[in-house]
Formats: sequence, structure tokens, C-alpha cells
Amino acid sequence: MTVKVFHAELGTAIATGLLGLAGVIGATELGHGWTESGPEAGYFPFHVGLILIGASLWNLVAAFLKHRAAGSDPEEPFLDRDKARRLGVFIAALLVFVIVTLTLGIYVGSTLYITWSAWRQGGYRLPLALGTGAGFAVALYLIFEAIFRIPLLKGPIEPLLGIY
Amino acid sequence: MENFDLLMHGFGIAITPMHLMLMVGGVLMGLIVGVLPGLGAPNGVSLLIPLTFALDPTSAIILLSSIYWGALFGGSTTSILFNIPGEPSSVATTFDGYPMARSGQSTRALTLAFMSAGFGALLGVIVITLLAGWASNFALKFGAPEYFAVYFLAFAAFIGMGSAAPMKTLVSLAAGLLLASVGMDSVTGSIRLTFGFEDLLGGISFLVVVIGLFGIGELLSTVQEGLRFRGVASKIDLRDVFRTIAELPRYWATYLRSGAIGIWMGITPGGPTAASFMSYGIARSSSRKGAPFGTGRPEGIVAPETADHSAGSCAMLPMLALGVPSSATAAVMMGGLMIWGLTPGPMLFATQPDFVWGLIASMYVSNLIGVVLVLATVPMFAALLRIPFTIIGPMIVAICFVGAYTVSNATFDLWLVLVFGLVGYLFSRLDYPLAPLVLAMVLGHKAENAFHQSMVLSDGSLGIFFSNPLVSGIMAVGIALLVLPKLVSMGSRLRRRVPVE
Repeated sequence: MTVKVFHAELGTAIATGLLGLAGVIGATELGHGWTESGPEAGYFPFHVGLILIGASLWNLVAAFLKHRAAGSDPEEPFLDRDKARRLGVFIAALLVFVIVTLTLGIYVGSTLYITWSAWRQGGYRLPLALGTGAGFAVALYLIFEAIFRIPLLKGPIEPLLGIY
Repeated sequence: MENFDLLMHGFGIAITPMHLMLMVGGVLMGLIVGVLPGLGAPNGVSLLIPLTFALDPTSAIILLSSIYWGALFGGSTTSILFNIPGEPSSVATTFDGYPMARSGQSTRALTLAFMSAGFGALLGVIVITLLAGWASNFALKFGAPEYFAVYFLAFAAFIGMGSAAPMKTLVSLAAGLLLASVGMDSVTGSIRLTFGFEDLLGGISFLVVVIGLFGIGELLSTVQEGLRFRGVASKIDLRDVFRTIAELPRYWATYLRSGAIGIWMGITPGGPTAASFMSYGIARSSSRKGAPFGTGRPEGIVAPETADHSAGSCAMLPMLALGVPSSATAAVMMGGLMIWGLTPGPMLFATQPDFVWGLIASMYVSNLIGVVLVLATVPMFAALLRIPFTIIGPMIVAICFVGAYTVSNATFDLWLVLVFGLVGYLFSRLDYPLAPLVLAMVLGHKAENAFHQSMVLSDGSLGIFFSNPLVSGIMAVGIALLVLPKLVSMGSRLRRRVPVE
């Protein structure tokens, strides 16, 4: 299936509109009116939310008008099958990377991620890929923790190696 | 001559072994950041802000601004050699830069670009030097309504003068303002828009958003295009460099025009990207003879590069003097300033002259260093793009997530980077501009505070924004910037349509 630009425009306009709606709802809970001391806490977000909803509606209508003007002409695809597959794989890997990083820490996460990508996607031999990944993690450690003394996210494995 | 003395004082601060080292290091880091897809100037600077806490503010800003200059140079390099703009503002350089490089004149194309960039930056810094004292005195007259008017003007300029559809710019702006208001409200002390999520109590850091939008978002665009970099050989021939430098004076008209466009777009918040496109367009329409643009015309490289860099350096002036950054990178740097405990604005010139003039002086020096370094190291950095994407891509991803984590050691921020990465990809594919979102996130609180204070002053009457000549003047310029550009283009479209019908 190919996603057309039209669909992407619609989806984005609806999403930004919903964000505006969330702002308006959140602001009404706080109160968006006036008191003697000036506007209430929700005043600014409330009106920004309204503007966001309005602009999103405009974009939605503009997308529809453009879609209709295009008529039966084939529209520009937003993502064809190839691009969608490439993006899908990349985003899935990103997601796994984030989850692994949150459970095992950034060093293990980035080592595994780089190794996997070089090995499975790049076609490098596993030892070389693993070396690249591990080398990167060591470089991270040296730059952040050794030189700048900024602690990075660690998991359950680093303490076993004596790194805190 | 007061400015001149201050500038000399600034040179005394900027030219120390430590600062020169930071400039060289910053420019080199900027070159890497500019060359690699996924690491642009805004998020390169964001990634390094947590590392600057150990430095004093003057050293920190010298490092960050040097990264910016390096990134601008790096962006032009990939535009010319690989037809891949490393920065959004170097898109226009690909039009003539890549064809010239492909015809075997890559040294000439690169030299043209770097010399023009250096010249543009120099023009920009001279303007800053001349205007700095005046701008800060002018800004001292500002009260809350005037500040709000200036923020309004910045937002209006983005909507009216940006190259994207106005309503899309507005969506980007409003989304940024909403995101900025999440968390504790500094005026009323109430917790806003967290919807019960504890992770949102501290608000959403704009640094994390920038890393997601520009870093992951740009990577996703690169992945989608399939990652085949078709590069041109990048050896620098020194004789060609000097021959090209000798031909530069021929383009004096293009230089001056593009510099003026860049300065204007840098001081008013049009930004370097709009400046480079506008300059390229005007150079094309005003050229009379010679090969058509798009086939490797030297003016096609000179015009966007000069404008890009003069706008980039001029963007520092409104940031320092008014606290209104006019480019995404300047917005990030201003965020850094506030994190270091400095308040951008006219008082900065009075209370921190070492910081301000040290920075301005460093801009002369680091751009000079930049031109020399970039010519010397281009082959090396171009080789970075020959590293297969399956290796460099995940590394960039990991660096982005590490950078986001170091902002406030919050694991929640990792999810934010992922989400804003997708947003950044979607927005850039659909021509929603990203810079207004960043600008709005940085300025959101200040704009709201200024609005709040004005309302308190005026007992809730909007009339305060038109109560004296200064504030009404700024508001009028803002409204004009908002409305005029579109009216003019609509008018010319109508006029063009008449003969057809």
C-alpha cells in the first residue's frame, strides 16, 4: 500500500488539531479567564490552543481542496513500498534500541544496536561489527564519564564490571 | 569609537591560548556535525550544551558559536561534493555547487563557497560591531509591552516572511508555545497541561525537542532516500584555490547584494535558510549574461553562501541585545545562555561586557580559523560520508539519545526524542517549518510573562500595545511583516492572471 501526501497532510492536521484541543481542555481545568491580578494560568495556553485548532482546520481544508483540484491525476505518493519498508525497519530498530537502553543502559543498548546494524544491515562479519559497537561504547565512556564526568544511563550489567 | 575600544577589549579576551583551542576544536566539531546527516547546527549545539557546564560562560559561548560556524562550512561542503545539503540553509548551494564540482572543478566550487561564507560572516560581524552599542541602548527603553511587541514581531516575521505556507508556520509556532507552557508556570505557580503525568512536571526541555526534531527527524529523511551517497572526488589543489581567490573580486556586486540580504534576514527573524534562497533567487533574476543558473555558475554559489553566513552571524545581534533569536541555532544558544544564568537582553551589554565583546571578537577570529581549517581538512571530512550508513547511522542515533539523556538525566526524555523524531520527519516532509517551533519553545515563557505583566500594567486592556510610539511602531512593523509579503505575492499573482483570462 502506498501512503499519499494527501493522507499524511490529513493525519498531521488532525494530530496538530488534537494537540490544540488538549491544550484547550487542560487550560479550562486551570481557568482561562481574568482575575484582578490579570490573566489566569490557563489564559495563554487556552488561546494558543484555539489558534492551533484554527490553523489545523485551515490546513485540513487546504489539503482537501488540493486533493480535489488534483482530481483523477495520480497524486504524489508520500511513501512508496520501498521507502515505507526501509523506514519501518529503521523505526522498529530505534524502538527496540530505546527499550533495551531503558532496561540495560545506554552502553549495552548502543553496542547491541550498532552491532546489529553493521552485522545484519551492513553485511559485516559479526566480530568486526561487535568490535565497532563495543569500541563506540568505550569511546562514549571515555568522553562522558572519564573526561567530562557526566554519568550516563547504566543498567544492571555495568556494576558487575565494576563501573558505577 | 566606543565600540572599537570595546571590540579591542574583546579581542584581548578572545585571543587566549585556551579560547583559540576552543575555537579550533569547536570549528572541527562543527565540521563533523555539519557534514554528517542527522547532526545539524541546532542539535549539534544542543548536544554540547550539557558539556559546557564545566566552562565559564564566555568560553562556553565561544565554543558553541565556533561549532555553529563549523557546521555552516560543513553543510556547504556536502552540498557541493555530494549534492546533500548538510544544513537546511545550504540547500541553495547545491543548485550550482554540485554541477560545478561534477564538471571537475570541485576545488573552485569549494573555494568559492568558503571564501563567500567567510566574507558573509565578516560582513555580519562588522554590522554587529557597529550596531551593538546602539541596539543595547535602544533596548534599554523597553518595558514589558515593548518586549511582548518584539516577540510578536519575531513570530509575525516567521509567518509572513518564511518560505512555508503561513498556516503551517502558525501550527508550528502554536505547537511550540503550547509545549513551552507544560509544567510549572513561573508567574502563577500552578502546574499546567501535565494531565497527571509526573514526568511532565518539570516541563519539556527544548534541547530534547531539538535533538528529536533535527537529529532523528533528519536521519529518518536520509533513511527514506535510501542512503546512496554519490560523491565527487574532494582533493584540494592549492593552485586552484589561489586562482579562485583571484577571480573573487569579479563578483563584487553579488557579494554586496547577498550580504545586504543576509544582514536584513539575520536581524529581522527571517533566518539563514530564507536568506540563502532569497539571495539565490535575486542573483538569478538579476544576472544578464553567461551560462544559465543551475549549471555551475559561480554567482550561484557566491550568492547563497554569502547570505547564509551573514544572516547566521547577524542572528546573534537580536539574540544578545533583545533576547530574540532569529534562527533555530541562535535560539538554542540563547537557551544555553539562560541555563548558564545569563539573561539575554540589553542589560547583558552593561553587566557582562566581557562576555558580549569576547563573543563578538571571537566571531572575527573563529571565522578566519574556519576558512583556513575547512580548506585544509575538507578531504578528511568528506571521507566521513564514505563510512557506510549502516555504521554511522546508528552511531548518530546513539549520540542523539545520549545527548538527550544528559540534559536532565531523565529516561522519559528518550521517549520524547523518539516522538519528536517522528514529528520532525513528518513536518519536514510536509513542509511545516521546524525553526518556529524551536523559537516558540525558547521564547514561550518570556512572551507569556511579558504579556502577563503588560496586562497587569494596563488592567487587562490590549490598548497598552499601542500606548506609545515605540511599542505601536514595533507592533505596526510586526503586523506589516505578517500581512504584506502575502498581499504582495497575491497581488502579483492577480496581475499575472489577468492577461491569461
